[in-house]
Amino acid sequence: MSRKDGDNQGAHGGVTPGHYYGHGLPYLSIDKYPGKIIALEGTDGVGRSTQIRLLREWLEVRGYGVVETGWTRSPLMSPTIELAKSSNTLNKLTFVLLYACDFADRLEREIIPALKAGFIVLADRYIYTAIARAGVRGVDSQWIRRLYGFAIAPHLVFYLRIDADQLARRVLEAGGMEYWESGMDMKAGDDIYESFKSYQRALLKEYSAMADEFGFRVLEGRKSVNSIQEELRRQIGEFLDGTASPRLVTPEAL
Amino acid sequence: MASGHRVFVTEWNSSVLVKAATKAGKKKNALTPMTFSLLHATDFADRLLYKIIPPLKAGMIVLADRYTYTAFARDVARGVDREWVRDLYGFAVQPDLAVYFRVPIDVSLDRLLARRVKLKFYEAGMDMGWSSVPTESFRLFQSKVLEEYDQLVPEFGLTVIDAAGSITEQQLAFRQLVATKVEPKA
Repeated sequence: MSRKDGDNQGAHGGVTPGHYYGHGLPYLSIDKYPGKIIALEGTDGVGRSTQIRLLREWLEVRGYGVVETGWTRSPLMSPTIELAKSSNTLNKLTFVLLYACDFADRLEREIIPALKAGFIVLADRYIYTAIARAGVRGVDSQWIRRLYGFAIAPHLVFYLRIDADQLARRVLEAGGMEYWESGMDMKAGDDIYESFKSYQRALLKEYSAMADEFGFRVLEGRKSVNSIQEELRRQIGEFLDGTASPRLVTPEAL
Repeated sequence: MASGHRVFVTEWNSSVLVKAATKAGKKKNALTPMTFSLLHATDFADRLLYKIIPPLKAGMIVLADRYTYTAFARDVARGVDREWVRDLYGFAVQPDLAVYFRVPIDVSLDRLLARRVKLKFYEAGMDMGWSSVPTESFRLFQSKVLEEYDQLVPEFGLTVIDAAGSITEQQLAFRQLVATKVEPKA
């Protein structure tokens, strides 16, 4: 990962926000694209989607063009991932690679065009989720970081932190535990509640380990939706006020 | 088998896991160099765990019709980073023998055209947009692929067989090579 002077604070894995983490896509130069990537990280059930919806409204009212992106939403990969998850044939490597492929497709079809056009990309989770999941499953940590060397370092990464007990209650209230988010593929036993807890605890450990490395801005996920949203808006507002781009979308241009 | 070995054959891009995505992507010409590369790596990872490692553990000979070198040559010809794609396949098992059947572009083009009506979109590198004429695109793209293979030969110690010769000649050379690696069984 190349080290360059940042255009704002934060570690970002030592990479300037808006640049590739590693080798990138050599055939696609993204220099000086005016858009920004804002990523929201955190495990399942922590409340990311609600926060993103509220952020989007707020940003659009302020005149920014907004594009949302999230895991397994790539039209190319989504059916395959769904099928693979339901058929129990995935192993840790193919699991990681299918997700990387989904990310690559969204990067080239959604994220990069949006950055070029000066939009704000709101990422409902980013590569850190993939790195955390791979880490828990015992995939080599250097290998997975190099794999995602084609990803672009976001301008801001917020991490909604929550502990496994609170998370378990929230997920149960929201409808129940699901096979994959309970780490049942890791075959730690038939008790889904215990599997969920130990899997999520392991994930939280991975996220914490990445916080410094990638410059996460940590927010407490147990706080109310409103107070989290307020804090997000304050920090994002500060960031956007201090930057010349992305351009505001004027009504005439729409 | 005539010399008593049990053999397992595995082909590039044959895993059921990514078949639908690869097919859909190819049909709509929707693959980018990166997704092309990652889909093939997924295919390889799937076959490695289901089709390559188990027969190896059982003491069988795995005949792999193309291996990671195909990705190294093709993906880099498409513009993917050379080092990145080598790292990507860091999980692969090193083969005991890797043979590269080298053939000039004209010969491969003639052979392909003799058998098929037209060249496939990605095989001809049409996704690169270098030429709208399939045979010309094929020539441009495959010459880059061949350049990469030429670098792979010393880098990975590939053994080269001249594939411009007759099938019988090639097979003889191939058998002699393999015989140096495996003991004939009584």
